[in-house]
This record gives sequence, structure tokens and C-alpha cells, in this order.
Amino acid sequence: MTLLTTMMERPLDAGYQEAADRRVAAGLPRATSTRTVLVVVLAILTGFLFAVAAQSLRPKPTAAAAVKSELVTRIEALQERGVQQEAKVAALGKQVRDYEALALQQSGGGDLTNTIKSLEVQAAAVPLKGPGLTLTLDDAASTVADADAGNRPSGGFEEGRVTSADLQIVVNGLWGAGAEAISINGHRLSSTAAIRFAGQAIIVDFRPLARPYVITALGDAQAMQQLFEPSFAGVYLSQLTDEFKIRSILAGSDSLTVPGDSAARLEVAEPIGPPVGSSAPSLPGVQQGTSTPTRSPGSSNTGNTGSTAPPTSQERPS
Amino acid sequence: MIPVLGLLAGLAVGLFLDPSVPVWLQPYLPIAVIAALDAVFGAIRAILDGIFNDKVFVVSFLSNVVVAAFIVFLGDQLGVGSQLSTGVVVVLGVRIFSNVASIRRHLFRA
Repeated sequence: MTLLTTMMERPLDAGYQEAADRRVAAGLPRATSTRTVLVVVLAILTGFLFAVAAQSLRPKPTAAAAVKSELVTRIEALQERGVQQEAKVAALGKQVRDYEALALQQSGGGDLTNTIKSLEVQAAAVPLKGPGLTLTLDDAASTVADADAGNRPSGGFEEGRVTSADLQIVVNGLWGAGAEAISINGHRLSSTAAIRFAGQAIIVDFRPLARPYVITALGDAQAMQQLFEPSFAGVYLSQLTDEFKIRSILAGSDSLTVPGDSAARLEVAEPIGPPVGSSAPSLPGVQQGTSTPTRSPGSSNTGNTGSTAPPTSQERPS
Repeated sequence: MIPVLGLLAGLAVGLFLDPSVPVWLQPYLPIAVIAALDAVFGAIRAILDGIFNDKVFVVSFLSNVVVAAFIVFLGDQLGVGSQLSTGVVVVLGVRIFSNVASIRRHLFRA
């Protein structure tokens, strides 16, 4: 306790008192001037020490900020380039389809054009326009304050946030209610597109989405709404709104557009007519080359991933 | 007043020149700052007590900084650097608070 007492009671260096006593004994004033060279030099040194310590120990924000801003510019430039390339892909895809239609006409297979058109629609290869529903989902207001659009925390769970499972259920409900084409935030859902998550971000077809989530579903707006609302997905959605304050707005419209899926590519192709000199058994409908297409997978030669098989990640109306 | 001007001049020089401190010296900087603060507040209190002595100030300043840095260095060598740093900060912090309380009593009579 002596140590503590000394520390608390007499924090001043005993040297000051002793020096003062010595000076009094020598007949000098107790205190020296504060303006001696020693004091001034030490004062300058002290200031220098403070400044240097503050400068060198403060985390350098400049280096990190420079790297971050450079990354942001690079990301933005690449995103812009990606958008341009996507537009180019869409334009070239349209050109290819036009050439295909022309070649088909010239070779006398004009009756296949309608089949191909319908298959392209089902494979989400072409943009579509028509009446439909717009369903806007957004996080609960309480969670929005701390997160800008596209700036979600990488960890943790907040119940007011829209999750990928919510989107999956809602999208499945819309397919079930008779939607013919669906896009989320301008990304067309093809039969092979998946709604997934990475951390807290929602990934649709390998592209991350930022809130709010706008689901556009083409189809008969009134009929879809009537079927959707009492369905499981509709009840689920209203429960999300009631319990977790997730905001959702369902609105019908006469003129909506969904883009084509630019990632569509050829995966399976089979000759539609009988192979020359071959007696291999194949689907009779295909072999005869009739104008009524079979609805079995692999029977299309539209050059799209599509086929008309049921989607892998979404349940389609049977 | 002149020492205060000197302090400001030193601050300005340090901020303006922004010298790079070698990495091996950086762990001792916070301790050195605390020790210097202790010496400075001790000197202010001595001035107010009327027993200031420039030589005592200089010696106490230098010895404070050197001893504090040495303790941290020793602790680093022994593997208890952070604990010893904490000890130095606690002791010097208590001294600073007591000195400031004394200065406050001098200045405000409270």
C-alpha cells in the first residue's frame, strides 16, 4: 500500500522540492525561470515528439482509401463494359435468329418458324412484352437505415431482410399462378436460372441483386393475382409482411417488358428429320418432322439451353 | 508563455516535416508520449507550486522517457511487453491525473 499511497499522494518528483530547498539554502529564489534555453529546447522537443507520434501511429487512411477508390472505379468500369457486352450479345442473338429464320424459310421449313418462336419464348431467349404483375419486395424499414442499396453486411442475420428463400417461394408461386415469363430486377429467369445466396446477398443467375427486388411476371394479370394471393406463396408473403415488416407491393400492368436471358446458349441439339441411312430408333414425333412439336426434352433445335423440360430450380405449372 | 510557443513550434515542425519513424521504434512512441506528458504536467505543477527548476525538469523528462522505453523493451524481450506497457501506462496515468488535480486546485481553487 505504501507504493499506492506514494503514487497517489506525492506524484510530483521529489527532485523539485529538493532543488528548491538547495536554492533557498544558497540564497537564491526558490524557482528558476521557465524561460531558460533548456526549457525552451525541451518544449520544442516535446511538441515534436507528440506530433511525430500522432502522425506515425495514426492508421494511414490515405493508402487504403486510394486502393478502395481505385477498386471502385475498376468495378464500375467493368460493370459498364459488362452491360455493353450484354447489349451486344442481345443484338447479335437477334441477328442470329433473324438469319436462322431466313435460312429456314429458304430451305422450305417455314412451318417450323412458329415452333421455334414458341420454344424461344419458353427458353427465355427472347425479350417479351405484355400484361402482367409487378411484385416489389423490400427489406423492413428498420433494417434499411444502416444499409444502402447494394451494401449489405457480409455476416449476421436480420429477420427484416428479404432472403433468397423468400424470393424462391414467391417466384415459384408466380410460376404456379400461371406466369409465362419472369424477371427479377431486369434479369430474366430461364429454366436453368437459380436463386441463391452468398452471405447476405441474393444471387440470381450468378448476378448479385440489390434491394428493392422487383419481380416482373408476364401473364394474365387478374387471373394470376387471383391465383397467387390465396396460394401458399401468397400467404407466405403476407405473413412476411405481418411478422417481419418486409414490404411488398403487388401491382398489375398492361404493358410490361422482360429482357431475354443473354446467357442462353446451345446445349443440346438433335436433328429433327430422320438421319440419312440410319435406322436408329428415336422419338416418332421428331422422326416424322411434323409441325406439332413434342414437348419432350431435347426435341428442340432452337439453339437454346431451354428445351421445354420443367425448370430445375422452379416448379412450373404442369 | 515562451515554452508554450516552443511546444507549438515543435508540433508544427513535426506535422510539417512528417518524418518517418523506423518500425523498431514505433512500439516505444506511445509510452514515450505518456512519459513526456507526465513530465510536462509535473513541471506545470512545480511552476504553480513556485518550486520549478529547469534542470530537474529536463532530467525528469529524459529519465521518464528512457526508463519507460527501457521497461517496454525489457518486456518485449521477456515476452510480456504488453503487460509491462500497461503497467507503465497505469502508473504514469495515475501521476498525470494527480498532477492535473493539483494544477486544477491551483488554478480554480476547487
